[in-house]
Amino acid sequence: MDWAGWALFGLVATAILTVVMTGAQLAGRTRLDLPLILGTLVTQDPDRARAAGFVIHLAVGQAFALGYAATFALLGTATWWLGALLGLLHVAVALTVLLPLLVGIHPRMASDRAGPGSTAGLEPPGLLGLNYGTQTPTVAIVAHLAYGAALGLLLRVR
Amino acid sequence: MAPTAMDSDVDGDMGGDVPQRHRRPPIADYGLLGDTRTAALVAADGAIDWLCVPRFDGDPVFASLVGGPQAGTFRLGPAGRATLAGRRYRPSSTILETIWDTPTGRLVLTEGMVAEITGRLLPTTLLVRRLAAQGGPVRAIVDFDPRLGRQHRPPRVQHHGPTVVCQWGPLAIAAHAAPALPLEPGRPFRITVTPDQPLTVILAVADREPLVHLDPDTAWAVLLDDQRRWQAWCKSVDGDLPHRDAVVRSLLTLRLLTYAPSGAPVAAPTTSLPEQLGGVRNWDYRFAWPRDASIGIGAFLGVGKTDEARQFMAWLLHATRLDRPRLPVLLTLHGKHPPPEQALEGWPGYAASRPVRVGNDAADQHQLDGYGWVLDAGWLLTRAGQRLYPETWRTLRGFADRVAERWRAPDGGIWELRGDPAHHVHSKLMAWLALDRALRIAAQRGAPRPQRRHWKAQRDAIAAQVADRGFNPAKASYTRVYDSDDLDAAVLVLPLLGIEPLDSPRVRGTIDAISHQLSASWPLLYRYPPGHDGLPGIEGAFLPCAFWLVQALAKTGRYAEATERFTALLALASPLGLYAEEMDPTTFHHLGNYPQALTHATLVQAALALKDTRLAT
Repeated sequence: MDWAGWALFGLVATAILTVVMTGAQLAGRTRLDLPLILGTLVTQDPDRARAAGFVIHLAVGQAFALGYAATFALLGTATWWLGALLGLLHVAVALTVLLPLLVGIHPRMASDRAGPGSTAGLEPPGLLGLNYGTQTPTVAIVAHLAYGAALGLLLRVR
Repeated sequence: MAPTAMDSDVDGDMGGDVPQRHRRPPIADYGLLGDTRTAALVAADGAIDWLCVPRFDGDPVFASLVGGPQAGTFRLGPAGRATLAGRRYRPSSTILETIWDTPTGRLVLTEGMVAEITGRLLPTTLLVRRLAAQGGPVRAIVDFDPRLGRQHRPPRVQHHGPTVVCQWGPLAIAAHAAPALPLEPGRPFRITVTPDQPLTVILAVADREPLVHLDPDTAWAVLLDDQRRWQAWCKSVDGDLPHRDAVVRSLLTLRLLTYAPSGAPVAAPTTSLPEQLGGVRNWDYRFAWPRDASIGIGAFLGVGKTDEARQFMAWLLHATRLDRPRLPVLLTLHGKHPPPEQALEGWPGYAASRPVRVGNDAADQHQLDGYGWVLDAGWLLTRAGQRLYPETWRTLRGFADRVAERWRAPDGGIWELRGDPAHHVHSKLMAWLALDRALRIAAQRGAPRPQRRHWKAQRDAIAAQVADRGFNPAKASYTRVYDSDDLDAAVLVLPLLGIEPLDSPRVRGTIDAISHQLSASWPLLYRYPPGHDGLPGIEGAFLPCAFWLVQALAKTGRYAEATERFTALLALASPLGLYAEEMDPTTFHHLGNYPQALTHATLVQAALALKDTRLAT
């Protein structure tokens, strides 16, 4: 497996994903803010949360990149389109499984069952993250396609 | 469940023999049941005529309120001749009791929705209703007839033991009674309720998730737990408030109208309750207005409920994110642009008031006043010692910049009239407020010097222009739009702003002119001269304006007048202490969507102003 490539390009691919997501957010396409969501696991100040969340996001991105690298090694090939395909699988799991599950463990995220005692600050993402804007799934798909394609392009199979 | 004595008293299918409802209940007859995710309206005859699932803005399953008898209802009440003997919320709670006297005994319906379900295996929507007889057996009617959505679709029905499950694709409603009843949707029947055995019926709703089945007696215990939680919440409300019970009822109503998963304040749980009976002024209010959130921040802060105030600010920041620095006029419960307005074909409307609308086109208007409300809320939080996060302050600064840039343009105004934009005096005053409060916050939080200079210059320019073109010396009052003779009751916020000294003749003149010339019938006010809105017919008096007048009188030291008006307004509440948006000044019937969050928020603000004035004198 391309360990050196994983160490470097995992970060690069995560940075690309972050740029796409943040760009879409700034362009008013989505309210999904992954650094904020991840960072509010540890602090409720949005600005501090974004800083902490960015670090967490890089770590999570790096962990996922390990899966991509292992898959490429197993298949004996690494191409941008294979990476993009894995990205598609990745985003499907993220939108349908990971994001909804976050509601159950995130201390500052409300659920659709929240009641008057809820002091959670973040609204639940809803199905496919649609509560954060109707274009959220599209943005997430594009970002993960870019992430996967970057890894497919940059990682080598040894 | 084993057969019970009550089962033997069930008359079976009595569809043809069940008394029909001949009377359209007045709006004020309805009580509000809610769980902070959705809400039901229940009439004095025990019929739930409005319930949307799974959220306030979902499809209705009981909608006979505006959809006619075929739109579904859920009635539990006396079957024959009965007199309404009493109706009340249990003190400091959301549980409603309705009492009827019948020739054979007294019948009591106690009902509520369970709000706090976090951490427990309970349905997301759980309605619990209990009928109890006192003094002798009483014949009661059970009419369970859910119909979904625009087409009043009947459900696919399955019976699982004592539970009847109604399904429409991913949506399911389970009804379960103890003692067991032969519940069959759309087929009302009579039963005899005996003093020794109350009847409990529960409704559990599941949308895109499995139904959670619950024993009715367990559900009843859960509802009582919920009651204790609400009572604990109310306990900390300031005991020195004038008319504390009315204020607490308003606060509870505001809480029930706050969609807990996102924190959005819902303007009202209904659509198209008319502002004129038989008229066309029928709007969908199942959305959230940033203005209401800001007014709610002041109301909750004033009674010491800081968490609720901060939640509204958090919602404002999150929901407006896609539109910044523009502040949307209204949003869906999850911060999206509301769907376009549509008329529902074939819906007869309340009192033949058509069309029944869903969606709201006011969302596309430019309204300047919203920025003022939001910046003022930010200032109230700051003044109360609540720390604004840097992101919050950045957002508020963006709003202030937007006002500084756009205030010279005409806008749609607070009343969302569908005509051309105009230079509304109230909007300019609120633009002044936005920049003034931004400057006050900046004095504590800091902002770049050029930005502050710009805000100050624009604030002073607004003050000069409003004084020049917004004040009519002949009327001795600020007006509705520039260079006009018309008045606008929204301008009653003038004493709250600080743009003029409280003892200024202009402030007093404006209060007096509005209270006289827009008087509907004491103590009510029209919001603007009746009929001056381009729509056919005339709407009712606007209740929030009447409370704003109380607030204005109190703020300017006219305590006795303010108290007199406030007391008179409290006497006009529905029997359960609820208010619609408007009121017919002749019949004093409530009009418009109901209950209305803005009316209840302004009631709280008026009480707080009275308290402040009383303490100051």
